[in-house]
Amino acid sequence: MWAMIVKEFLELRRDRRTMAMIIVLPLVLLVVFGYAASFNVNDISTRVVGPRADQVAAELRGPFDVEGVDPAADEAAARDMLRDGDADVVVVTGTGPSTALVDGSQLFSAQTAVAAAAKSDGRLRPDVLYNPDLKTSWVMVPALIGMILTFIGTIITSIGLVRERQAGTLEQLAVMPFRPSDVIVGKIAPYFVLAAVDMVIVAVVGSLLFDVPFIGSPLIFVVGGALFLFTVLGIGVLISTVSQNQGQATQLALMTMLPQILLSGMIFPLESMAAGVRWIGYLLPLTYFIQIANGTMLRAAPISAQWIPLVVLAGMATLVFTAAVLRFRRDLAPRRRATPPSGPERTAPLAGAR
Amino acid sequence: MSEPLAHADGVTRRFGDFTAVDDVTMTVEAGEIVGLLGANGAGKTTLIRMLLGLVLPSEGTIRLFGRPPSRETRVRLGYVPQGLGLYTDLTAVENLDFVAHAFAHNGLPETSKVAPEAGGRLVGDIGLGLQRRLAFEAALGHEPGLLILDEPTSGVDPLSRTRLWDTIHVQAERGVGVLVTTHYMQEAQQCDRLVLMSRGRRVAAGSDADIIGSTTAAEVDPAADWSRAFAVLDAAGLPVTLAGRRVRVADTPPERVRDVLAAGGVEAGVRSVPATLEEKMIIIERAATSGPSAPVASTRTAST
Repeated sequence: MWAMIVKEFLELRRDRRTMAMIIVLPLVLLVVFGYAASFNVNDISTRVVGPRADQVAAELRGPFDVEGVDPAADEAAARDMLRDGDADVVVVTGTGPSTALVDGSQLFSAQTAVAAAAKSDGRLRPDVLYNPDLKTSWVMVPALIGMILTFIGTIITSIGLVRERQAGTLEQLAVMPFRPSDVIVGKIAPYFVLAAVDMVIVAVVGSLLFDVPFIGSPLIFVVGGALFLFTVLGIGVLISTVSQNQGQATQLALMTMLPQILLSGMIFPLESMAAGVRWIGYLLPLTYFIQIANGTMLRAAPISAQWIPLVVLAGMATLVFTAAVLRFRRDLAPRRRATPPSGPERTAPLAGAR
Repeated sequence: MSEPLAHADGVTRRFGDFTAVDDVTMTVEAGEIVGLLGANGAGKTTLIRMLLGLVLPSEGTIRLFGRPPSRETRVRLGYVPQGLGLYTDLTAVENLDFVAHAFAHNGLPETSKVAPEAGGRLVGDIGLGLQRRLAFEAALGHEPGLLILDEPTSGVDPLSRTRLWDTIHVQAERGVGVLVTTHYMQEAQQCDRLVLMSRGRRVAAGSDADIIGSTTAAEVDPAADWSRAFAVLDAAGLPVTLAGRRVRVADTPPERVRDVLAAGGVEAGVRSVPATLEEKMIIIERAATSGPSAPVASTRTAST
């Protein structure tokens, strides 16, 4: 038995990734999620409009964080602000009690806002839009679509690609008259299609089972979904290029999935995270897909209000997918020479993609 | 004279400070079977990978069909890797169909002899012999001009091995150039020409008769106590081999063998016989290992 224990430790010591998962990852998770794991929203992004906007804004206390005051704006403008995600709460002032229009798609902020309004002795009357009953399922279903796409894009894709290399068939593909792009597109297209089908199924089933509305533009949703898919598929391909076997690919894919699930705003609201951790959330593609899915399905946010997450996702997709394709291509075509060439013919690439 | 189908000209491949292939020149002409022989780590697979275009040489040039390896040359290339390169979770027909589409030709599954035998089973569920025949069919379906086979008969029974070699000969008779690596000396003798590699270098080339040349072996009289004779000669550090009950010592004068046996208390007759190819390889390998200028000295391993 002792020999078995010693052998196991020897193997573990040389398996750096597993050692990292065992020792480093728990520490990172503890520190990061210790600061991130909070449902308490202390500051709610708030705007105040209407004739008494200045006066009401001055009276508002925490958790309402007044970021803008516009006495000239009316309730229609206030609704537009909320739909476009300019604020989580817009207080509309008039002659009587003020109305706090609350964005129900920001669940935790909305719950906090409603609770705070209830304590205002009737001076602030909450009106929750986009998720009037503050149902958790309404905000979770759009986020779950992103999580499922992440799962297919990273775990399933990376495992599929590593399996090809492990079986030795990747080498066989490299000596067939395929272009590297043929192989890459051929490998990735089925996963893209399956993930896209999954996206539609989850959206439809989510709507049917949980009455989650889809009131926005399907086109924005599809474009956002496609950009997000390219990004996560690219991550999956990248993982496959640095993994020797399916176990390693799964490990790495999980390491990329876990932060996305916990720091993208899917579970813990971004605004309640410590600033030192929140920035990580803004580096994650799922954060932006959730913003697009949420805005499109629940608030019907127009393209003018969604362009930032769309552009960020487009940038991420371009960056990650290009890196993935370049690295994957290296597996199919020989690298540059180990030493400088002594003749022009010797630089000819295998791929023949020229 | 037409260009060889495959031509490695002074190719060297280094991986860091390890030289897997060192200044090797070889050709494969149309209609000939060239055997690439060498111990594990001799550089055979790296040389093949360079010929296939999977690895670029650090020095020297590779030409296939008179030009550098490219997508165009791959259309005329048939390759059976050691691992076969089949999709084990597809059926035989599905594998053949995929290859047929990859090479943009039709009819492969229809004319297959293996597919009916394999039935609708997944390739992972059929025997290794059948898998190898399937890999051959897949590699030959597009009628390649050059066939590269990396240990094509490894792990198959003698009957299947004979069948596969029949296929290789039929292809060569049709004008296909064949480059084959093997560990089996009987198979090496079926080749028209051999290239022997040791520690990354080409150490001999030609027919088996050319390579063996005048090298002889000392054979101990089989009537003697062969097990003791073997033990004594082995203990003396001689390149002793055993074929059945025949104890042989390559490249060693019979007198020397007789003396060693006598010193070990074994009285036996010893005669000089022509060396076998295997014995010649042992001699070459021992010289490369123990020689003062071993060509590529390194303890690192690499996929060769």
